[in-house]
Amino acid sequence: MGDWEWPLILFTVLGQVAIGIILMLWWLDRDRDRNHLDNLLFKRGVYVSGTLLALALLASLLHLGHPEAAYRALTHLGTSWLSREILLFLLTFLAWIYLFWQSRQQTSRHTPGSGTSTITTAEIAAAEQQTGNRSLGLGLTSVLGLLGIVSSAMIYVLPRVPAWNNVGPVLFFLLTTGLLGALCTLVLGANLLQAAQKKTLLQWSLGCTIVSLLIYLIYGSMLSVSLEGATSLNFLLSSPLFWIRAVLGWFAPLLLLVSILKNPQIDKNNLIFTVTFLAGLGEVLGRALFYLSATGIHITALF
Amino acid sequence: MSKQLGFLHNSEKCVGCRGCEMACKNEYQIDATPQWRKVFQLREEDFSLPTRMFFSMACNHCAHPECLRVCPVEAYTKRDDGIVVHDPNRCIGCRLCTMACPYDRPQFNPVKKKVEKCNLCYQRIDKGEKPACVAACILGALELVEINDSLDQKTGVLKTLPGLPSPKITTPSIRFIGPKQGKQIRRD
Repeated sequence: MGDWEWPLILFTVLGQVAIGIILMLWWLDRDRDRNHLDNLLFKRGVYVSGTLLALALLASLLHLGHPEAAYRALTHLGTSWLSREILLFLLTFLAWIYLFWQSRQQTSRHTPGSGTSTITTAEIAAAEQQTGNRSLGLGLTSVLGLLGIVSSAMIYVLPRVPAWNNVGPVLFFLLTTGLLGALCTLVLGANLLQAAQKKTLLQWSLGCTIVSLLIYLIYGSMLSVSLEGATSLNFLLSSPLFWIRAVLGWFAPLLLLVSILKNPQIDKNNLIFTVTFLAGLGEVLGRALFYLSATGIHITALF
Repeated sequence: MSKQLGFLHNSEKCVGCRGCEMACKNEYQIDATPQWRKVFQLREEDFSLPTRMFFSMACNHCAHPECLRVCPVEAYTKRDDGIVVHDPNRCIGCRLCTMACPYDRPQFNPVKKKVEKCNLCYQRIDKGEKPACVAACILGALELVEINDSLDQKTGVLKTLPGLPSPKITTPSIRFIGPKQGKQIRRD
């Protein structure tokens, strides 16, 4: 069985939330004709995702025996997914710096039409250019971040660990990105998102929760094929942490998200905050269990 | 790679004295926790008759080493003679190789905060000497051999033993001469 790998739990979950937020902002930004992405939400999202990404990268260093030599991890891109992960996360951070610069540009620039009765052609062109740059930055950061997350997951696809040697890690990591990214964007944009945008993000969160639950059921049934996989499954089913994770990360969010979507009159913001908190805890526990339940093929002779 | 060096372990000769373990510790002054070489006892229930047999295992210098594949800092290299060498000066202690090796042979040293493993005494081999563990085996149960088809075709040479992970994962460069079963005679 594995250990409580706190640096890895924090690195993966925080990194995935950060990239999830950027991904959701990009998604919202693409629908410019009907729903405009609020500038303040864009700035909030960029600042929060950058902070989380920086914390994630710092946490990853704590896993190493010699963090001062972490730069060497970029030297085996040919076969090592860990090298690829580090490269892609660093590129994501560079792309985020471009986003940060874009968000600062928005503060310093004149809002088109403000203070004047007419909007000049130059102002419209400048605004369009700015929106284009923002979209480019969001898209670039999202794509690099998603590739980084896939690389993170591929590190664990090891023939030695049957519970990981499948598509499971990739799906789990992407679903965490989708779920927590959407929920955190809902929290950040509680008073800034339009009703249609909120509804889309809530539906997306519900979809991620349902898919996550279904995939876990299939994954669990596949584990029993090998001896080591069955050991992982037994560990999960007999662990109280797994059932707490199931309640916090799947069942409670499922019920709350359905009730938010079905009852437009209820106080959505408080419930969204509650769902985000519960799902966040559920994902952290789920990631801890991912490491704890790992059982590798090993020598079974006595020593 | 022109050839593949490896170990041939004869479980019929091995008495489990752990002399090979100690020779390895003495040669490299390894800290207490990591054990580059370890003697295992085969489980009696893996055989049809009661059998007390041992095998000794260090890094298997696999033909397809997972440690080398996953290492992000290129701390592992494979020499022309097939020896998988770990360079502790490059290691950053990420421990991914310890997760990837089905034989648990790269081991994390909590004092040095780096991974260590057997390098098949390549410096001794380069001087024409035997590895320390092979030289120390008083019964000649452990040999340095070239792993090739002619070895695999010899009678009694096995690629694995009960209780070992499938050799398909990394193609380990170790062969075994398995234990011979004792005869059980009933007096009635």
